[in-house]
Amino acid sequence: MNESNAPATYQLPEQMSTVSGDIDWLYYFIYWTSVVLFVAIVGAMIYWAIKYRERPGHKPTPTGHNMPLEIAWTVAPIFILVFLFHKGFQGYMDLAVAPANSIEIRVNAKQWSWEFVYPNGGSSPELHVPEGKPVKLVLTSADVLHSFFVPALRVKRDVVPGMFTTVWFQTTHVGHDDIACAEYCGGRSTGANGELPYEPSDDPRNPYPAGQATGHWAMHGMMFSETEEDYAKFLKSIGDKCDQFATTGKPCPADIAAEQGQKIYSNKGCLACHTTTGVPGVGPSWKGIWGKEEATNVGKVKIDENYIRESILDPQAKIVTGFGPVMPTFRGQISDQELNEVIAYIESLK
Amino acid sequence: MAAVDIPAIGGHEADAHGDGNAPYLTAKRGIMSWVYTVDHKRIGLMYLMMVSIAFLAGGTFALLVRLELFSRGKTIVDAETYNRFFTLHGAIMVFLFIIPSVPAALGNFFLPIMIGAKDVAFPRLNMLSFYLYCIGVVILLASIIGGSVDTGWTFYTPYSVQTANSVISMTFGVFVLGFSSILTGLNFLVTVHTLRAPGVSWTRLPLFVWGMYATALMQVLATPVLAITLLLLGAERFFGIGIFDPKLGGDPVLFQHFFWFYSHPAVYIMIVPGMAINSELIATFSRRSIFGYFAVAMSSIGLAILGFLVWGHHMFVAGMSEFSTMLFSALTMLVAIPSGVKMFNWTATLYKGSIVWASPMLYAMSFIFLFSIGGLTGLFLGTLSVDVHLTDTYFVVAHFHYVMMGGTVMAFLGGLLYWWPKMTGKMHDELKAKIGFVFVFIGFNLTFMSQFIMGSRGMPRRYYDYLPQFEPFHRASTIGSWILAVGLFTTGYTLLEALWKGKRAPRNPWGSAGYEWMTETPVPLANFRQTPVITRGPYDYHLATPEELATGWDEISEKPAAKKTSQATKKD
Repeated sequence: MNESNAPATYQLPEQMSTVSGDIDWLYYFIYWTSVVLFVAIVGAMIYWAIKYRERPGHKPTPTGHNMPLEIAWTVAPIFILVFLFHKGFQGYMDLAVAPANSIEIRVNAKQWSWEFVYPNGGSSPELHVPEGKPVKLVLTSADVLHSFFVPALRVKRDVVPGMFTTVWFQTTHVGHDDIACAEYCGGRSTGANGELPYEPSDDPRNPYPAGQATGHWAMHGMMFSETEEDYAKFLKSIGDKCDQFATTGKPCPADIAAEQGQKIYSNKGCLACHTTTGVPGVGPSWKGIWGKEEATNVGKVKIDENYIRESILDPQAKIVTGFGPVMPTFRGQISDQELNEVIAYIESLK
Repeated sequence: MAAVDIPAIGGHEADAHGDGNAPYLTAKRGIMSWVYTVDHKRIGLMYLMMVSIAFLAGGTFALLVRLELFSRGKTIVDAETYNRFFTLHGAIMVFLFIIPSVPAALGNFFLPIMIGAKDVAFPRLNMLSFYLYCIGVVILLASIIGGSVDTGWTFYTPYSVQTANSVISMTFGVFVLGFSSILTGLNFLVTVHTLRAPGVSWTRLPLFVWGMYATALMQVLATPVLAITLLLLGAERFFGIGIFDPKLGGDPVLFQHFFWFYSHPAVYIMIVPGMAINSELIATFSRRSIFGYFAVAMSSIGLAILGFLVWGHHMFVAGMSEFSTMLFSALTMLVAIPSGVKMFNWTATLYKGSIVWASPMLYAMSFIFLFSIGGLTGLFLGTLSVDVHLTDTYFVVAHFHYVMMGGTVMAFLGGLLYWWPKMTGKMHDELKAKIGFVFVFIGFNLTFMSQFIMGSRGMPRRYYDYLPQFEPFHRASTIGSWILAVGLFTTGYTLLEALWKGKRAPRNPWGSAGYEWMTETPVPLANFRQTPVITRGPYDYHLATPEELATGWDEISEKPAAKKTSQATKKD
């Protein structure tokens, strides 16, 4: 095993996972092998092209045969290739087989956001993992192909609708890196009123602000490798505060529910298409929508609990005029309690 | 070199429709003589015109894509338009330009001449494949105007069955183009088997013809799979049959298997012809036979076979089993062997040659330079654990541009400059061609070397926008694309200028021993005044007489018959 916490080099990003040392070693092995071969071939080509250039009195020598040489350069590469294949496959198996004691986190990808669901049932749009602990991600997609890619971890796996793929890693130190989608998944730049604004921000945590033109490139997330205490604190913070009321049988107070709803708004990726500022995005803005009469493709509809519930579970049923039928369903991904919390949040945005 | 009266093999319009000895460009005149032509040279020229327009269009989209990426955020177009631009760039370059470029344009023109035939085996089928190509182009253009496609040239499901745009007309266009490709391949296979002039044994076949032969094999065997895939995609979209869409019970990874089962051989359909041209250029401008002729010829066939066995390497992280991943990685490694054999043999050919630094040779040497990089970076991607980090990043983009553009396009440009005198009868300006080359070479490396670095640093492909740390690399890449464009325009201008300002080309301006230089310039309608009888290989500079290297065959054959007998004894 090679050391796995080197800083970024000119060619490769920082190392943050246990496998990255081995992978980078192999990368640089291929790199230097290639440099040697390239210099040999191109060097010989340039040297001979100058040395044997056409000039008066210089005659070409007819080409002969040299069987040993031909066999040598056909067979010699095989040794390098077998070695590369072997090391590459070894590294690949390290990436493929997760240790039995891995923490399992479920990942739901959709156009265009990530949702990470933790063992305690809480979820977040950012991935938090404890430092030095093996973590296994179980990935699935609600719509099209995506691919989960964290450069510093040297892991990448396609997220395929209709099946589960997995990826596992163990971070070597506290730190953070970007999560990118590496499989093209479309994009949208038109909202209700034509083209959406687009201005990237310099905030490294959130480089592609919500409510704007969005797509493949904007499926950006953050991966945080934290100390055990910080991870435990994080898990606590994403637990549902309305749970305690549910166990006592009392209704959850509106302000707490709305606060939970706001979390769901960002965790489940609603914010990718719905703003809370009044500016329409891919979908209608939630600001001031509560209680309004809206024209839809099936006539006028009052925005109330039932409409919101239906729109989340069956988005294509009644589409507000001016918007496209693009929202995926959240059926099976959102509990009744969470639905109520989202409704409470929208109500609070009057 | 002798020429005797042997009945023409294969039918040709020349007997019925014109004087076979008249130059092909002027044997018949008028627009209809081009529309109805079955002459492989005219069809080759028309293909050349079409693929050049396609290259211009695809290149324009490439420049627009690069320009949009010059700065973060919106530079010139919005995200949806950007997605269409890169889709069109890919689809046009792959299906309209690079696949037909060398085989259909230069191959059509020179394959029959290089085996001493009057035409291809099925001249009318050749015409049909040209018009199928045109129909395919029209359908593709229609889909561009009528809504445009934003799926990327790979049409991956389920996005391609959900997106509202005209995916179906686009894939139908590709379907029709596929037929054109199959027919050309079939035609070449039969031509090479049946129409070789007396004395053109398989061991005297020019390496360009060997490359075309290997390419034709792949076109005939792989393209039907693309047609099947696209039909299934159409069935899914029209009738809702669940083949690829998981919502209907299909499997999106199945589409990738189907798609790459064609598109990986297609990669070799693109590169093997480039290698084929390169073998010709290296031999001519070194004045000696290609080192290891047999190995170079067989490596083309080897690539054609391996091309069918490695499609899975596009899908190492796509959700395949570990076992198939292992197999595909092992098979992929084997590709390095025939590729390496070619590189080593070309380089060894220069040793003790007499190297002419003409513009086509500059392209041939840059092919070796750039394809080395393209090929060696393939090792990174074939090595499983390293591929996991690099796949679907700009590293892959740079890798296949080094192979496709650094390989095939460089060879194509070199081949055009090399054969331009024979095709048009005019010489181009060498100085301008060399200036163009310098810009192309520098621009190309700047454009794509930057992409290697940002790719290995973790910049994914097909992104409309990117994180701030990638901006310097994107800027360098965009500036490189402008230099590249200047070089390509200079080269294009040089070629066109030759048509009206160029000096009359002699028969064999490069002093090549290749068969195609032995006939008149421009080429007569029937290619040769008489069916040639070949008594030496196409690279046998030590056997070719000085007159041959200057003036070709016919003028010799018009002289006393004494030569004829002395040459005939050398036969084989």
